[in-house]
Amino acid sequence: MHLLLIVVPVVFAAVCLALPGPRLRLASLVAGSVAHFGVTIWSWSATFGDGADLFFAIEPLGHLFVSLVSVLFAATSIYFVGYHRRALLSERIFLACMLALLAALSAVCMSRHLGVLWVAMETASLAATPLIYFRLSARSLEATWKFLLMNSVGIALALLGIFCIAVAAMKTEPAISLDCSDLVSRAKELDVVWLRAGFLLALVGFGTKMGLSPLHSWKPDAYGEAPPPVAALLSGAMTLGAFIGILRVFQVCTAAGLAEFAGGWLVVFGLLSIGTAAVFVVGNNDYRRIFAYTSVEHMGVMVVGVGLGLGGSYAAMLHAMHNTLNKGVLFFLAGFFWRLYKSNRVSDVRGALHHHPTAGILFLGGLCATCGLPPFGMFFSELGILFAAAQKAEWWVLGLFTLTLCIVFVGVMTAMLPMVFGPPPDTLKAVHNGEGWWRNIAMLAPATLLLLAAFVLGAYQPACVREALTAAAATLEPSRMESGAAVARGMEEFP
Amino acid sequence: MLQSAIDSILVLVVLLNLAMLATSRMAACIRTFALQSLLLALLPIAVGLRHEAMPGAHTFAIAAGAVGLKVFLIPWILLRVLRTGEIHREVEPFIGFTASVLLGAVIIVASFAFAKGMPLPTEAPTDLLLPVSLATLFNGLLMLVSRRKAITQVLGYLVVENGIFVFGLLLLEQTPVLVELGILLDLFVGVFIMGIVVYHIRREFDHMDTNLLDALRES
Repeated sequence: MHLLLIVVPVVFAAVCLALPGPRLRLASLVAGSVAHFGVTIWSWSATFGDGADLFFAIEPLGHLFVSLVSVLFAATSIYFVGYHRRALLSERIFLACMLALLAALSAVCMSRHLGVLWVAMETASLAATPLIYFRLSARSLEATWKFLLMNSVGIALALLGIFCIAVAAMKTEPAISLDCSDLVSRAKELDVVWLRAGFLLALVGFGTKMGLSPLHSWKPDAYGEAPPPVAALLSGAMTLGAFIGILRVFQVCTAAGLAEFAGGWLVVFGLLSIGTAAVFVVGNNDYRRIFAYTSVEHMGVMVVGVGLGLGGSYAAMLHAMHNTLNKGVLFFLAGFFWRLYKSNRVSDVRGALHHHPTAGILFLGGLCATCGLPPFGMFFSELGILFAAAQKAEWWVLGLFTLTLCIVFVGVMTAMLPMVFGPPPDTLKAVHNGEGWWRNIAMLAPATLLLLAAFVLGAYQPACVREALTAAAATLEPSRMESGAAVARGMEEFP
Repeated sequence: MLQSAIDSILVLVVLLNLAMLATSRMAACIRTFALQSLLLALLPIAVGLRHEAMPGAHTFAIAAGAVGLKVFLIPWILLRVLRTGEIHREVEPFIGFTASVLLGAVIIVASFAFAKGMPLPTEAPTDLLLPVSLATLFNGLLMLVSRRKAITQVLGYLVVENGIFVFGLLLLEQTPVLVELGILLDLFVGVFIMGIVVYHIRREFDHMDTNLLDALRES
């Protein structure tokens, strides 16, 4: 049954290509995403079956991520109904690519073979390319080119990394295939030198796709120029796919006893990313680029969490979940603000709270969530990573992590709070002109739902969510979980 | 006999890298790439022949896929993109031709030195495989960063892929054929999309100089 998660969007993409008329195609997009969401919910119930075949399987980590992807896609497809007006690029191809992206990302999350994972990941980035080139302008063309070239080279390095791991597996008898569970269970037999090389290449390769510094430079361009719903998908869903690529290789390294080595590099890249975000957020005048840099920051936080291990992995999973929800809210509102103010510049957007109270409140909520204010979940995940750093007595990591996060916080808040408060500019025309009311609802309702979900999951965590996160985190540190009574205690402190 | 054939192919591949760095006409550059890909597509069969009398269907599928895509289809797309515009057919590097060939030679020497430090856990078909793969990879990266034209950057990316293809020969028996074909298909679609984007870049900017793609920056 698990193949439904891949087949459903593919079928709807084909339907989308075949249907005449923009309305029907849009309906097909919504139907495809919602159907995928339905299958995802069903997949958590016991009647779904264990779901495993040669290449794809449902296991805790992938299951969590595919669910997040599904939630974001369902929300985005509804948002897109309101956003969508006149597509300049062929609308048929655009919508089909969106569904293809969903299928490819589901395949990435569920693949158990590293080669299949790579193929699916590359398919995802190819499907995303036409989405960025939505407005057919010179600027979006530049963003598309940078995205395409950097991601292609990055993913090529990741392939080399996967090949290195295959070489590391060659000396064993019988040879280990690139199947993840196979690699993990016999990791001790792998050749250490080649495994290290493979991990570093995969980290750089998938890190490019995830937007880890110093290979993040395509990210602000792409997120700034892509239409906001696409930026939401890229920052909330695509990054998860790249993250899972890193995590799969990390699992193999942990099982092979290279946890210190691999974790160390993850922490270095993570801190570098947060630091980069801190440098570029301050004084930036384009709110979508600022969101892109906060995305770089959040990727860094997740990677640091996994690298530290102990409670850090759990915190990283929590962070990944809230990142997906928050990025949805923020980019949805960025698209809405474009409608209200016709500008991407922070200095042009003023007084959203007076001008459009609902959007203003939602935006304020999204800001608090993404900056990690309690009771939103990112507060707890970042706190969890601090605990993990303190437990391991990594004081440098702890200090740098706190400092850079504070800088990002101040940078984002000083730039964005005036967007919410204060008087709106006089030149602004009233928006309540009647005909667009359903567009407002279609755009704001998904943002409201995602924000509510983020709020509720921050303030109160149901047992099922907690179990899913814990199970996913446990796959990242199989050996350390047994001895880690401290881990269990660390988790008690989360709500 | 077979061994020396494999070795000579690999040496030729390295020389073609240098040839590509030295070529100033883009069309010639693309044809050199096609020749390199053709040589590489022969390798899986040659390596397979070492083990048994007749290589399996798997090997032939890979070779056929590589020939079809990298020798015919992709060069055809690139040449077509090139032909649609009449201006600026020169490569226009940031780094001069002589300098880039010298750099390429340095990269080749460094690859051989580096490969010595990474002993393969199993016996490779030939000792040249790893250094040639690394040299091709890094020469591709050099092309990618030192050239100004969008289309030569695509070519650089393809040379990087060729380097990885050589590396993949080590794993011929290990990777399922589906995965290999998936990789080739992704490569093809990637280049196809790149071709479209290059076409749009030229229509938009009236040429395909990527150093004019610099409007996006921090404000």
